[in-house]
Amino acid sequence: MESVQEIKDALSARSRTATLDELRSEGRKRVRLVRAEHIAAMISEAVNTAIEHSGLVGPDEVERLVAKSRQEFQAILQQREQEQRTAQETEQTLEDRESELEALRAQFGELQQSLAQTQQALAAAKAAPAAPAGAPTELLMSMMQEMATMKANMMHQQQAPAPAAPAGADLTSAIEKLTGSLNDRIEKLGKKMGVSAAVDSDAPLDLGGLFKDTGKELESNMQNIEVKQQSGGGIAANLARLKKLKGGG
Amino acid sequence: MTQNKNQQSTDHGAETAVALGKGLDVGTANLAAAVQNADGGITVTVERNAFLDIPSDVYSKNMLTKLKVPYVVHNGKLVVIGEAAFELANVFGRETRRPMCDGLISPNEQDALPMMKMIIQKILGEPRVQGENCYFCVPAPSLDVDNNVVYHQGLFESLINKLGYKAHAVNEAHAVVFAELAENDFTGIGLSFGGGMANACITYKSIPCVSFSVARGGDWIDKNVANVLGVPRSKATHIKERGIDIRDPKSREEEAVAIYYRSLISYVLQNIKARFEAGQNMPSFQNPIDIACAGGTSMVGGFIEVFRDEFAKIDFPIPVGRIFRSEEALTAVAKGCLVAAAIGES
Repeated sequence: MESVQEIKDALSARSRTATLDELRSEGRKRVRLVRAEHIAAMISEAVNTAIEHSGLVGPDEVERLVAKSRQEFQAILQQREQEQRTAQETEQTLEDRESELEALRAQFGELQQSLAQTQQALAAAKAAPAAPAGAPTELLMSMMQEMATMKANMMHQQQAPAPAAPAGADLTSAIEKLTGSLNDRIEKLGKKMGVSAAVDSDAPLDLGGLFKDTGKELESNMQNIEVKQQSGGGIAANLARLKKLKGGG
Repeated sequence: MTQNKNQQSTDHGAETAVALGKGLDVGTANLAAAVQNADGGITVTVERNAFLDIPSDVYSKNMLTKLKVPYVVHNGKLVVIGEAAFELANVFGRETRRPMCDGLISPNEQDALPMMKMIIQKILGEPRVQGENCYFCVPAPSLDVDNNVVYHQGLFESLINKLGYKAHAVNEAHAVVFAELAENDFTGIGLSFGGGMANACITYKSIPCVSFSVARGGDWIDKNVANVLGVPRSKATHIKERGIDIRDPKSREEEAVAIYYRSLISYVLQNIKARFEAGQNMPSFQNPIDIACAGGTSMVGGFIEVFRDEFAKIDFPIPVGRIFRSEEALTAVAKGCLVAAAIGES
């Protein structure tokens, strides 16, 4: 069947297409029609006859050559199809990489912008008058406390009844924004200065659970073994001194 | 058994005469418990903080019992505990397992907790009254490593409470001050040279002003000696503890020990000096202050002379009077903890 397709392709390549009107305009009223399958059969027959008449190749050999040619044709066809698939995949990969590159470029741009802002902020901080040496954490804490008080006052105002509806709504929204912004700033400032908003419990760690399994009796001869003991000087003098220091003696 | 029972009964019999409270030195190399005795002195029970596991069989168990070697059967293995583990390790050329490392509970020896509990139970004994005070030492935060003192302290607090005591932590070098600087009204510098760390505490009238530790001690010397000599660490420990004088090393091995001792002492002194020079929270002493050294690592011959030698090399920022080593260097921390416990009880 491949030979028919080939002949179709060959005919398509070597013929032209014309509409009925065009043929009519050329003065043709009738045309002869021939199927590509017939042409293929005719060519095949003609070639086989010619080869048989030449006496050079036997009919079996002709069959074998035809089969081999078909096989080679199939192999070449598959190879071309594979190459085409590979080319398509490569093209797809290339497109993916290009879009990734675009994304990275965009990210790089954002980072550059962020770096520039940070550098500006750093320069501004350096230019600002330095805090006194060893600026105590208490100062920072008092600043934070002050900000927190301001925030609380604003929250209080927000809860108070508004005098007029439209103006009140605007004011509430403004206060909400300001409160949110203050919140963020307090947290950011605290984190920067190492003051955490987290609270720590005063309760001591109870790691008793780690000894859950050690309660069971282990086989041992420890109770029959003496341990090394040493005698040492007394501690009465030390205790007397300590008591005296503590005002108890 | 009989002897121990007798000891216990003596303690119980003297309950009215002997003050309550016990001191416990939780050291990397040794564990020591101190208690006041009826004679006005103290009794300190010491055990090496190490163990060694060997295959468990009936013959080994019988042999260990006959030789009075303490063991525990844990996870199907025979675990030899304390000094005997150290001696056996030397005989077989093996390394002992150590529940603690660099002054703190070792994260690599989690299954050593039952063994440590047994050793502590053995040396502390039963509390004479439920909730008797037991002051145990903890190291100060280190200058040179990031260590978790909170976990270590919490772990031993829980362990001691579980034994029926009321556990209280006291800084290791502060305990040295309690034990050794009574004559100076507990003002001066206490130094504890332990197996895993060296601890320092600068106190004014018993109040600790600055305390810190460095993660170098006897183990650091052993490790380096073992490295340069190509021997196991327990062998290096043996060389160090067999009675050498670091002023006069007699062999290549002793020379290595002396070199690393000098380096350790110099390192500790440089760090104390740096802390004084930094000046934060430092009291201004009107009179020269004393420096008291203690801890198992300070027991080597010539220690205090080398210490003075190294001290003379640095320009120490404050006047110093006496530099001395405790006469009971190995048990001074436990004794200091006992002082704290006795004051706590009163």
